[in-house]
Amino acid sequence: MTVVLLLFLLCTSAAETEKRIVKDFSLQNVDGKIISTKDYKDAKGFVVIFTCIHCPFAKLYHERLNQLHAKYSKLHIPLLLINSSDTIMFANESLANMAKVAKEMKYSFPYLFDPSQTVAKDFKAEKTPHAFVIWKENKQWIIKYSGAIDDNGAHPELVKSTYIANALDELLAGKPVTVSCGYSIGCAIHYRK
Amino acid sequence: MIESPPKEIPSIIVQSKNKLTTPMLKRIFTLFLFAALTKFSTAQFNTLWIPDTLSGTTFNLNLIDTFKQIRSGNQTVTAGVNSDFWGPTLFFNKGDTVHMNVHNYLNDSTTLHWHGMHLPAVMDGGPHQVIPPGTIWQPYWKVANNAATYWYHPHLHEMTQEQMTKGLGGFIIVRDPQEAALALPRTYGVDDIPLMLTSRSYNGSNAFLYTNTSYGDYMLTNGIPSAQVNLPKQMVRLRILNAEMERAYNLGFSDGRTFYVIGNDGGLLNAPVAETRVILAVGERIEILVDLGTNNIGDTVNLNAYNGGFALGFPGGEPAQGGQFGSLLNNKTFTLLHINVTAATANAITALPVALANNTYWTASDATVNKTVTVTGGLPNQPGNPFGFENTHFDFNVINKTVNLNDIEKWTITNSNVFGHAFHIHDVEFKLVSRSTGAVGAYESGWKDVLYLPLGSSATFVAKFDDYSDSIHPFMYHCHFGPHEDGGMMGQFVVKGDNTSGIAEANVGTDFNLYPNPAHNKLFIQFPEENAGVYYVRMSDIAGRSVYMLPQPQLNNGIDIANLPSGIYLVALTDSKFNTITKKFIKD
Repeated sequence: MTVVLLLFLLCTSAAETEKRIVKDFSLQNVDGKIISTKDYKDAKGFVVIFTCIHCPFAKLYHERLNQLHAKYSKLHIPLLLINSSDTIMFANESLANMAKVAKEMKYSFPYLFDPSQTVAKDFKAEKTPHAFVIWKENKQWIIKYSGAIDDNGAHPELVKSTYIANALDELLAGKPVTVSCGYSIGCAIHYRK
Repeated sequence: MIESPPKEIPSIIVQSKNKLTTPMLKRIFTLFLFAALTKFSTAQFNTLWIPDTLSGTTFNLNLIDTFKQIRSGNQTVTAGVNSDFWGPTLFFNKGDTVHMNVHNYLNDSTTLHWHGMHLPAVMDGGPHQVIPPGTIWQPYWKVANNAATYWYHPHLHEMTQEQMTKGLGGFIIVRDPQEAALALPRTYGVDDIPLMLTSRSYNGSNAFLYTNTSYGDYMLTNGIPSAQVNLPKQMVRLRILNAEMERAYNLGFSDGRTFYVIGNDGGLLNAPVAETRVILAVGERIEILVDLGTNNIGDTVNLNAYNGGFALGFPGGEPAQGGQFGSLLNNKTFTLLHINVTAATANAITALPVALANNTYWTASDATVNKTVTVTGGLPNQPGNPFGFENTHFDFNVINKTVNLNDIEKWTITNSNVFGHAFHIHDVEFKLVSRSTGAVGAYESGWKDVLYLPLGSSATFVAKFDDYSDSIHPFMYHCHFGPHEDGGMMGQFVVKGDNTSGIAEANVGTDFNLYPNPAHNKLFIQFPEENAGVYYVRMSDIAGRSVYMLPQPQLNNGIDIANLPSGIYLVALTDSKFNTITKKFIKD
């Protein structure tokens, strides 16, 4: 009973309990090309992670993003990293600076620029990093997980729950996602008024 | 007895619902019990963090989003000033003019208020001086305050609780010749210890909670859970700040020893006051001397909060352990700091001074103007009417009170409402002259800027509003409880005089020159018209991004733009009549 109640609290606090549908989107990649979710004809789902350049908590995850993409893109679940920072407020969150990070961190996946913040708003992304798993059901993208990437930012060696990987493994096995929501931890995404 | 070693509780929380069986629930309960007993049977202490220090006359404060390992498991997302929680202690000398470079690297706007400082309203860092992200704010002022312990913290309306919860803030210690001449402990971090007391609650991912919560469940002393410190076997000085959201601390020592109050918010008392318990409300500071000279090396003693058994209205006395007004620390005794007595230092202070200061306090009869403030709202059956004053709530566009420069005023704050409060006023240090509950305590008889206002009482103070008038920028008075001030339990007053912030009314005129243009290191402003001046300079880049906020800038030395990226910038000059003229320059 206690455990069920705590799970419930965890979900309602993350404000994500109901089944949510997100739209296909097209954004500019750091190489200048436009990337669309529609381009991935055989994708079963996507890992969509909102990040930014300056947030110290987001910076902890570069290597783990590469690992996630390396493992799951082969299984038709590519990773799309998105920067939805308010570029009026944060001059450094530019496409040029994103490209530098992508090169330096050897990103093996697209790093997309969302200066209008449209995609972040559709996902209701709150923090950087805020991770989502979306899955194709009846030609729609359904959010199957929303929250943190895992449960230890600074110490990957101490991670006990790999939320994203767990959700993907369960989806690939045709099972329901056990932990479908959790807190996203990091810096708040400032939405331009 | 237990089949596998106990795991962290959070990993149990995320177990699959489908897999839960009755035996498993029993095991989880056993593990939980085991973990709880283990935790509480062997007390573990962590070394107290002493904030770094900054001194001189120019202070660079970078406000940053960051994270800190506070508990086991995930890190807690925090904010700090040049630090991962809280900020450096700023040492000011009375009489110096201090220049602050406050750089907001946060993901949101903020303000930084110099709590207790007597300064021009435009430098005060109240809710009006909003610093957008990426902006450098450069207030400056001449330190007029007495030697005492002050602090700085964010004051952005409706965001104060959140930003303070994340850890933004720091101590200010003012030195002056009178205090320096006394034989008092003064070696920072050795026999002179700043103590920032607060508590926090966490969610399952170790993130701080700051909405619909008044009290933390776990103590943080200078940001450290279960803090301990080694203190020498001699007279030691503790500068204690209540940096809570609502909780008051009924301070005392575990062995019941007498300690000596030597200072209040705004200066030394005339003489030490012996006490065994002192209530410290939110925002208040107290300096105490504790004689560890009679202890043996290796002795331990705890500084505790004796918060049990108070009548309703004492902040943190509520019996509930959960909910908005509940806490695991409510209505009980708990430890704030574990002290280990170590060997005395060379040149230790061993005696209690007989006299400290010769303050000339205002009396009620000095006041020529009387004002009243009445606490209203906050009734449980009126959720849409939070605590306020005079049945109103803070409105940026409403000046609630006007004070004439140099007037000595008597303010009476009345709380016949439903709960205790901590009343704070900007600009001045005041003298408490009476309380409806009886005589003003000797321990609170010095200069103060916060007063504890118990339920069912009134308190009266007298203050002189001198030096700084400003018809544009108001000062604030408010309850210092984060949820209360964010809810609008705040008013504003202007000090009216012949000039603005101690300088003649500035008029930007019709034109100004910017040179050199392009500029590289310094930018100078020159007015072709005589007697022209400026109240505020704001600089933004061509995209409209704020980069500099310069209140009443001293333009003789130019504006330092060396760190700005190359580009086109706009400089907007505003005078005290709200006239603004704007020009462009190129930074090369």
